[in-house]
Amino acid sequence: MRKVLRVAKREYLATVRTKGFIIGLVVAPVLFGGSALAMLLFRNQVDTRDKLIAVIDRSSLVADVVIAAAEQRNAAVVYDTLRGERVRAPYVIEVVPRDDVDPDRQRLELSNRVRRGELHAFVEIGPGVLHPREDTAVSHIKYYSKSAALDDLRGWIERPINGQLRELRLAEAGVDPTTAEDMFDWVGAVPMGLVRVDPETGAVAEAERSTEAQAIVAPLVMPMLMFLMIMLGAVPLLNAVMEEKSQRIAEVVLGSATPFEFMLGKVLGGVGVSLTAATVYVAGGVFAVQHLGWADYIPYHVLPWFFAYTLLAIVMLGATYAAFGSLCNDPSEAQSMMLPGMLPVMIPMFVLVPVLREPTSTFATGLSFVPFFTPMLMLIRQTVQESIPVWQPWVGVAGMILFAAFCVWAGGRVFRVAILMQGTPPKLGNIVRWALRG
Amino acid sequence: MNAVEIRNVTKRFARVTAVDDLSLDVPQGSVYGFIGPNGSGKTTTLRMIMNIYYPDSGSIRVFGKELHGACTDRIGYMPEERGLYKRMKVRDVLCFYAELKNGKDVRKEVDRWLERLDLTDWANRKVETLSKGMAQKVQFIATVVARPELVILDEPFTGLDPVNTDALREAVLELGSGGTTVIFSTHDMNVAEKMCDFIFMIFKGRKVLDGTLAAIQDQYGSDTIRIRAEDGSAALQGLAGVEKISDFGQVQELRVAPDRDPQEILSAVMSRTRVRSFELARPSLHDIFVRIAGPEAREVSDA
Repeated sequence: MRKVLRVAKREYLATVRTKGFIIGLVVAPVLFGGSALAMLLFRNQVDTRDKLIAVIDRSSLVADVVIAAAEQRNAAVVYDTLRGERVRAPYVIEVVPRDDVDPDRQRLELSNRVRRGELHAFVEIGPGVLHPREDTAVSHIKYYSKSAALDDLRGWIERPINGQLRELRLAEAGVDPTTAEDMFDWVGAVPMGLVRVDPETGAVAEAERSTEAQAIVAPLVMPMLMFLMIMLGAVPLLNAVMEEKSQRIAEVVLGSATPFEFMLGKVLGGVGVSLTAATVYVAGGVFAVQHLGWADYIPYHVLPWFFAYTLLAIVMLGATYAAFGSLCNDPSEAQSMMLPGMLPVMIPMFVLVPVLREPTSTFATGLSFVPFFTPMLMLIRQTVQESIPVWQPWVGVAGMILFAAFCVWAGGRVFRVAILMQGTPPKLGNIVRWALRG
Repeated sequence: MNAVEIRNVTKRFARVTAVDDLSLDVPQGSVYGFIGPNGSGKTTTLRMIMNIYYPDSGSIRVFGKELHGACTDRIGYMPEERGLYKRMKVRDVLCFYAELKNGKDVRKEVDRWLERLDLTDWANRKVETLSKGMAQKVQFIATVVARPELVILDEPFTGLDPVNTDALREAVLELGSGGTTVIFSTHDMNVAEKMCDFIFMIFKGRKVLDGTLAAIQDQYGSDTIRIRAEDGSAALQGLAGVEKISDFGQVQELRVAPDRDPQEILSAVMSRTRVRSFELARPSLHDIFVRIAGPEAREVSDA
């Protein structure tokens, strides 16, 4: 064990003493924080030039309402009255007489005006828009612009048009809209946590309102941080071992330590690097979040699990990457091994959203018991507000411990055979044979 | 007592037999030279002694015990191709290797060796800044700094300039005189002749020579005439009873055919040209090497 620790110490110091590691520790949070700050700072940096929208109203029912709505909006939001600055773009509506003889030609002309920058967009309102169920072919509202799908104005223009159409439909039905002003008011469902008993007073405590930050951001931060730790502590082992093999360092070390000691030392060095970085990030993150007054968002109960999962993930993946690295003779082979090597890390990232939305589904539960996926998926399931059965994380950890032991054992066998084998490209058959037979 | 005992060891890589039924004893405290052409099995044998490779059959005992892993702290091993962490400082990398060998008080010993091999000024420089010769000396220190009882050096003198070769040779001999068993492989026959108590030659995986230089030369007898002929090798061509002429410029070596009298050959030479010097000698190790390995070894030996 002394030799394992000596190799681990060298690995650890060789990484954490580098300027890259120290700068990385600082740069990563600065990048994350900086991008959030930039979004905050630049959220009002919008184009305030007039946005001219042409409207072809083939129904002859809504054009005036759109003009009125635009004027009302412009009066309300375009100018910051305190600063006397224009802060939003005014919407200017140009009603275009409809061309019933050659509508395609009219659309082309308007499209060309958009292309030349004379118009921001044009809207075509179908003749049957008042009763869309009668003839869907003529009941459309079509919005034409250079990036129609992402254009905020498209969402805005729907509201005055549909508001006018509803009022017209009520009038047809003989209902005076002024007698039922709240007819179309919408009451949303407020997201709430579960009610619980206050452990101090014994009284039923009021449930807390759930926010999007709690529901999405907080559960995603932990797996993202773990991904970062894996990239920092485990993934570099592939190239590091390949380099030690190609530079014949491995042969010298193997004169003093067994292949198993050598590999395990490197893996433990990676664990040390990851835990150091994780400690810095978690401590710094908790301090920053508390300082900002968002302490309620910190999932304290999963922090110990985070460190346990990180440790086991680095051992499991580190042993695998070290074994893969021992198979490679040059950087190109290492690059080709990186793709299959990254799959155990990437697959949980691909399914984060469905697991986040339904953490107790069979899909989420089943995948979170796959040892390679347990660190990220079990963690995200534990972090979301809905609780999962208490036994599941423990079973997940037990599975990881067993699989990590297997990875170290099998990886050590592959490592022992491959580390001194020059010129033999990595092959799946060899990996399996050496892992099983040594 | 033998430091190393190899018994009927065979090692194959796929269809190639790298070492074939090899038996060898390396006495404790001796300096043992391994020679042989490239690919003959020297490095494989050294790696098997280190237990980095496992023999397919046979046994290897080091200090009377079979090894179970290459990690024995009683052996120092310097592979043919140098393996140093390039981004580490010289002193740090030496301390690392020494501690890995269970070395005690390693810093002091590291500094002593750095001074001994004139590398003190480089102690705090990164390995990547060293010249090839310096890196080789650092690798040598890494091998011996933990005071192993058996030192295995694979091509330790290759690529060194004469000054560094002398420094390393003196260090190796100092280890030998201090009771350390030294095994080293080399292509330099002069080095092997001058330094080794015993010489072992392996060719195509099989042992072809083993013993002291004198004993090996005795096997071949005094069949070599070393001559300085005024007209050089041109005057020696076509001599009856001469199997081979090796021309070294100022000196020519004639290998005398069996059952032929060297005096007859000398007379024949003198009838053709003036002879400045004449010596009846046993064949050099170089000559013996070439005789065994033939054309395959010639390019190695000439390199």
